[in-house]
Amino acid sequence: MRNQLKILIVLYLCLPLSAIPAEKNDHAKYVQHVEQGFVFLFQGNNKEAIAAFESALAVEPKHYEILHYLGVAYTQEKFWNKAVEVYQRSLDLKPDNIEALHSLSLVYFKLNQWADAVELLRKVITLSPQHARGRELLGKVYLKLRQFSDAADVLTRAIELKPDAAGTYNDLGTVYLNLKDYPQAIENFTKAIKFGPPRYAEPHHGLGTAYLRIGDREKSIKEMQIYQQLQEEFAEYERFSRLTRTEPNSLEAWKGLANVLIRQKKYNEVVPVFQKCIEIASRQRMSVDVIASFYHGLSQAFINLNYPKHAQDSVRKAIQLAPNVAVFYNTLGSTYAMLGDVRNAIPAFRKAIELDGEQPHYHLNLSKLYQSIGNHKLAKEHYQAYEYFFSKQKQNK
Amino acid sequence: MNISSQNRNKINDPITLKHGIETLNISLFSITSLLLLLNVVFSISVSAEKKENQMILVSAGTFTMGNEKRAADERPVHKVYLDAYYISKYEVTNAEYYEFWRSLQKNNPESSQYTPESFTHLPYIGDWPERATKFPDHPVVGVSWDDAKAYAEWKGMRLPTEAEWEKAARGYSNRTWPWGNSIGPYANTADKNDGYENRIAPVGSFPKGKSYYGVMDMAGNVWEWTADWYSDVYYFHSPKKNPTGPTVGSWRVIRGGSWIDTLPRCSTTFRYYFYPTLKTSSVGFRVAKTAEKPKK
Repeated sequence: MRNQLKILIVLYLCLPLSAIPAEKNDHAKYVQHVEQGFVFLFQGNNKEAIAAFESALAVEPKHYEILHYLGVAYTQEKFWNKAVEVYQRSLDLKPDNIEALHSLSLVYFKLNQWADAVELLRKVITLSPQHARGRELLGKVYLKLRQFSDAADVLTRAIELKPDAAGTYNDLGTVYLNLKDYPQAIENFTKAIKFGPPRYAEPHHGLGTAYLRIGDREKSIKEMQIYQQLQEEFAEYERFSRLTRTEPNSLEAWKGLANVLIRQKKYNEVVPVFQKCIEIASRQRMSVDVIASFYHGLSQAFINLNYPKHAQDSVRKAIQLAPNVAVFYNTLGSTYAMLGDVRNAIPAFRKAIELDGEQPHYHLNLSKLYQSIGNHKLAKEHYQAYEYFFSKQKQNK
Repeated sequence: MNISSQNRNKINDPITLKHGIETLNISLFSITSLLLLLNVVFSISVSAEKKENQMILVSAGTFTMGNEKRAADERPVHKVYLDAYYISKYEVTNAEYYEFWRSLQKNNPESSQYTPESFTHLPYIGDWPERATKFPDHPVVGVSWDDAKAYAEWKGMRLPTEAEWEKAARGYSNRTWPWGNSIGPYANTADKNDGYENRIAPVGSFPKGKSYYGVMDMAGNVWEWTADWYSDVYYFHSPKKNPTGPTVGSWRVIRGGSWIDTLPRCSTTFRYYFYPTLKTSSVGFRVAKTAEKPKK
């Protein structure tokens, strides 16, 4: 009897013993999945983030925050229906979560479910009157619904909250264009161009339309030409970008993309593209001249990004491969000049002139250097050479 | 002199995080569980604090907040006046938080409220409360915003506002990083060469990384909760004097970057946000207190 009692006591103690660590084990798995999910999400690896967050929620399903982050990952992957489902689950747990409401309304916008989006966005603004992103999106929805007066109100307030929002100025310009208030449209499109990123095409089209409506054909044509040029650039960029994805080993695709990016002055984006060109060209055993030209392109990008040392390393490699190209020495001289190393800059520019004495800018660069060290005689000589070759070039054109 | 270099663009800093996940290693019958089951109260002897977490006085005055050249939510640059306040020299450590947690456990041993998250899969952090003994000088992580706030109040203090945090990190001379504008870095970031690869460092491990006011670890190691709700447009209309953040929000502001972040995210102006309920291995906090005004 006493033995049986002992066994019972041991059993009693053992049962919960196995239960609690298992729970702890499950929670530890949840924590690990969540931490992995965040790492993947911040890396932009949405597919892995989805897997990690789904695994975490399979263990502990009632975390409104994790459901929101899962929705973000689904949204970024354009899995709209899954995003709606998980945002809804998140909102069931915390109905007044402003950011989840905004995220869900964004998906409704993408799905053209205007009425659903409006309902949620009104809630966002009620809960958080200073939510500029909510107002911006509501303005876009009203624009789609052609409720221009409502759109004008909500976008005007959005701009009060965020006075440098180029996209909102562009939307407001479109609203005023539809309301036939052309001076307001022109003002807003102009601000969109002012605050927008370089080569922002859309406001030029709006501006061109507004000028046309007020009878200013000259300005209208000018804006439409800019718009067309930017659209063509964008189409070219899209074409080469797509080509690099479908044919990742095509040197022509990467070279084309590099050229577009250089023309658009997107120097930070062009650096990895030139690096890819060098990698592919080296692998395909292209001529040294071709590889050298990519190193030179890379050095030009670094110069524009204000990284003279990186630029110098790249142009040195170009010179090693092709030692008789004048422009490489001009770039080398420029990197020395940027670093304040006049002593080494002068022979580099002189070498450029030795290889191609008719390039006016090599003379101008050398002239400026001589000027900076007080050698006015040589500065004058090279400045005259610059003027001579510059006018000659002009005549030839 | 400016030769052959036009239209220099600013680099958009890459935002990448480093993987810090190790293999899962959980013992089903851990000693911890057994002791908990038998209702044996933990009695971990936590070594005395190696570093005294003194409060540093930040004098009253105006400083420049925000950055025109970085993320959109750092705009516009604006002047902010703050009354004098104190801020803790270091992030709150495991040992310090353990004292608070232990005092709650004494009254209510069943309660898991304010218990930091365990990170069994991360060997340099590990489980709570074991890590309070193992790494007493490490900043406490796995604490929610409410946990941080409760600790601060228990100490008779509060969390710093976002403006207080930035001023303490940046000083008067608009430093990009607490130590200045040179890349350094004097901080525990995702950089493999900082001596703390894939792990948290004890507080104060980078003396050269101190801010103008002498506050440590304001770049890297762990993100720090601030008192404010996050709004991406707050700087456009925030009060010029003693701003305390928006009145509503979903996320709280975290600042300073962490051991899994690249250096640009650890700058003095970089803003990030997190759900206040979340407890992760890269977010901790420090405390602040309003300085009493001198009597006239």
